[in-house]
Amino acid sequence: MKIKKFLTLTRAGIIESLQFRLGTVVIIIGNILYLIVVYFLWKAIYSSAGTDIVNGMTFSDTLIYLVLATALFNFMEMYIVWEIGRNIQSGKIVLDLIKPMKYRQYMFWSYSGSFITNFFFTLLPTFIVVAIVTHGAIYFGINLLLFIISVIIAVSINYSIDFIVGTICLYTESIWGINIMKQVIVMLLSGVTVPIAFFPEPLKSIVYHLPFQSIYNAPLSVLLDGNPQLNTVLTTIGTQLFWCVTMIALSKLFWKVSIRKITVNGG
Amino acid sequence: MKRKGLSFYFRIYCKILAQDLKSKMSYRADFIISTIGMIFTNIAGFVSFWILFRSFPSINGWSYYEILFLYGFSLVSLTPVQCLFDNNWNLRQYVYSGDFIKYCFRPINLFFYYQSEVFDIKGLGQLAFGIGTLAYSWNKLELGFTPLMLIKMVIFLITASFIMIALQNAAAATCFWIQNSFYVMDLVLKFKDYAKYPITIFSPIFRFIFTFIIPIAFIAYYPSVVILRPDAVPVLSWLSPIISCILFGLSYKFWMYSAMKYNGTGS
Amino acid sequence: MYSIEMKNVSKEFKVLNRHEGLKGSLKDLFSRDYKIIRAVDNINMNIEQGEIVGYLGPNGAGKSTTIKMMTGVLEPTSGEILVGGNVPYKNRTKNAQEIGVVFGQRSQLWWALPLIESFKILKDIYGVSDEDYNNMLTLYQSLVDIEPLLHKPVRQMSLGQRTLSDILAAFLHNPKIVFLDEPTIGLDVSMKAKIRTLIHALNKEKNTTVILTTHDMGDVDALCQRIVIIDKGKMLYDNDTMHLKNFFGSYRTLKIRIDGNLKQQTEKIKFALPDFSISADEEWISILIDEEKAKVMEVLNQLQSSYEIRDMQLEEISTEDVIKKIYEEGVE
Repeated sequence: MKIKKFLTLTRAGIIESLQFRLGTVVIIIGNILYLIVVYFLWKAIYSSAGTDIVNGMTFSDTLIYLVLATALFNFMEMYIVWEIGRNIQSGKIVLDLIKPMKYRQYMFWSYSGSFITNFFFTLLPTFIVVAIVTHGAIYFGINLLLFIISVIIAVSINYSIDFIVGTICLYTESIWGINIMKQVIVMLLSGVTVPIAFFPEPLKSIVYHLPFQSIYNAPLSVLLDGNPQLNTVLTTIGTQLFWCVTMIALSKLFWKVSIRKITVNGG
Repeated sequence: MKRKGLSFYFRIYCKILAQDLKSKMSYRADFIISTIGMIFTNIAGFVSFWILFRSFPSINGWSYYEILFLYGFSLVSLTPVQCLFDNNWNLRQYVYSGDFIKYCFRPINLFFYYQSEVFDIKGLGQLAFGIGTLAYSWNKLELGFTPLMLIKMVIFLITASFIMIALQNAAAATCFWIQNSFYVMDLVLKFKDYAKYPITIFSPIFRFIFTFIIPIAFIAYYPSVVILRPDAVPVLSWLSPIISCILFGLSYKFWMYSAMKYNGTGS
Repeated sequence: MYSIEMKNVSKEFKVLNRHEGLKGSLKDLFSRDYKIIRAVDNINMNIEQGEIVGYLGPNGAGKSTTIKMMTGVLEPTSGEILVGGNVPYKNRTKNAQEIGVVFGQRSQLWWALPLIESFKILKDIYGVSDEDYNNMLTLYQSLVDIEPLLHKPVRQMSLGQRTLSDILAAFLHNPKIVFLDEPTIGLDVSMKAKIRTLIHALNKEKNTTVILTTHDMGDVDALCQRIVIIDKGKMLYDNDTMHLKNFFGSYRTLKIRIDGNLKQQTEKIKFALPDFSISADEEWISILIDEEKAKVMEVLNQLQSSYEIRDMQLEEISTEDVIKKIYEEGVE
């Protein structure tokens, strides 16, 4: 019955996220506003460019990319760093550590409920709206399945990065500073705000060798590729898997080393 | 009882502010990391800006340096809200834990007392970035320089600041009414990112919305046009100082009303 | 003029009816199902300048709500409150000048600063003159040894030191009324005694009215001439502490542990001490002693002559016991 205790946490998470009735509404309003700004900004950019295709992407490609990137971002955003940091400062972490579950798993499953509500409240509706509005700009085929696989890997990478950064809070009191640095780096280098196709050359190849593009850029490129070649798909998902394994290993190792510090020093 | 005038409040403000700086110094690591985080945020902002606009000489009739000017303008005008009203971000936690009550027992203005408690020095870094950007683009645009322009600049920067402060006060005060006001604060925080684009890129409907309903066009666009395009200043730009004062006053009233209406969480 | 005057004061809250479980949460998303809770129900009392009043009641009885109304943070739904002649919620800042508040474990001092810096800010906020400020510090020094506390940051203080500092801060501007909410909660016996002595001395010295909420009958015994008991928003009792004492007698519970079969021994003791109410759990035999009738030591001597007492405890009657007894028997 091991899975049962995880699902209990998921259920609790769903109930908790439904408590904030207005929170959901505000998030939706915020996203709509953001998308309006993005729409007009890129429209202006494309009309100033004078060509239909900029950096290999058409206006609607770019728009679909950014809309779905935003939806994906909202789906995956977990505030793990804040949570771990606050638990460390308040000492609540001691209570979490004595739970009969690994802390890394406990945190993940506590948040899993919000994945489900976010999926139904933001990701799925956005996806349907985009699919309808763009009349078939999204292909329905094997790419959907690959997209789902890719997102699952992305969630895992994102969580591991968050967990690593959260663990840093064991060493310093500065939650805000640590969190803002992480957020800024991930936002910029993962391609959420500007598609990586627009990056200038040396920067682009650097970004492709970092784990962050595996979080947003990889799943979206898999989804938007209407004619998937085995080769490209394998490279994209293979890279993701590599980062996924590396990050999980790193986060576990880092936590293990760090937690010894607490137990030895008595917190 | 003595009448409590401006000089009284000014003296108290300086005292409390000095104490806040003293206590910040006692968390030195946090201060350094937060400052680095703030610098990171600004650098990343520039990088995204540069990636987006580097390949286009102009967007919607706005030259690269004009957009850069708007960007710098928004950075400077956001400094006061960052430095002086940062305690708004903690309001939610004080209300949630019930600790907010401690601010209610003092014989001075509640809003003043609450806001005076935190002065965020990190904001000064942003100010430096902003002034640098403004000066650079000012020079490139060959706007010329007269004392009158400087006076206009200062007045309209203050105007823009007041708008952002008003928006943030109102957003923070929602925590007295709804459970998780973090999302509202986050939404308003994002406004500043939207504010740095010229309003003319939007369609007339959204121009109207961003001017009269969610007044983010006043954070950078309307005030900066006074300097940027002195030949074609819209009436709204000249009205913006008055509008900003009205909005600030309203947000203050809302904040105070909400705080007094707030009935404590339980017990 | 009374220091505090409350006439038919009530306070109602509107709360959302929350439902249980996943389905319930979904329902709450759209629900407008509110219920009204009467946290304070028609309370009347007049308090004289310089009195120390114990304000008692179980958790959620409405104590904090009453205090919030007296301090001007909450507006009563109906009724009238006058604190030092002011209507507190109509002029919160003016009222705040005349009162001092310590709210349990929430320190109102500046966390990262040494105590003296907090004092200096408070001095300016309340507009205390240099002379009054220095006199107050001298008085404090004569009552407790504050010198080591003054230069210590509040966050490094023990709970006891912090409470002590908070109380001193509340009296700093020489308010007419001080509200103390659970000032001794979580403190050890010697610190409790120290805090009680301090409150008593400040009250005597400055003739300050003190409203004290507590769960600890020890606080009441040491400080209060008068007790007000409230439960479920209603006032149950308002009279002298002595009166309540007389009515209940001074009950204490003697608990002993002895060898042998517990049940048999309990029966034997019941037989030997027919005047007392005696009960037993798995380990302890409890004897409720009315000290008006018999001294604890006498009972203990009597028991010791016939039994081998392995362990013993003496318990004060608690607020909860008092309220239970009031419900069961009523008070004249």
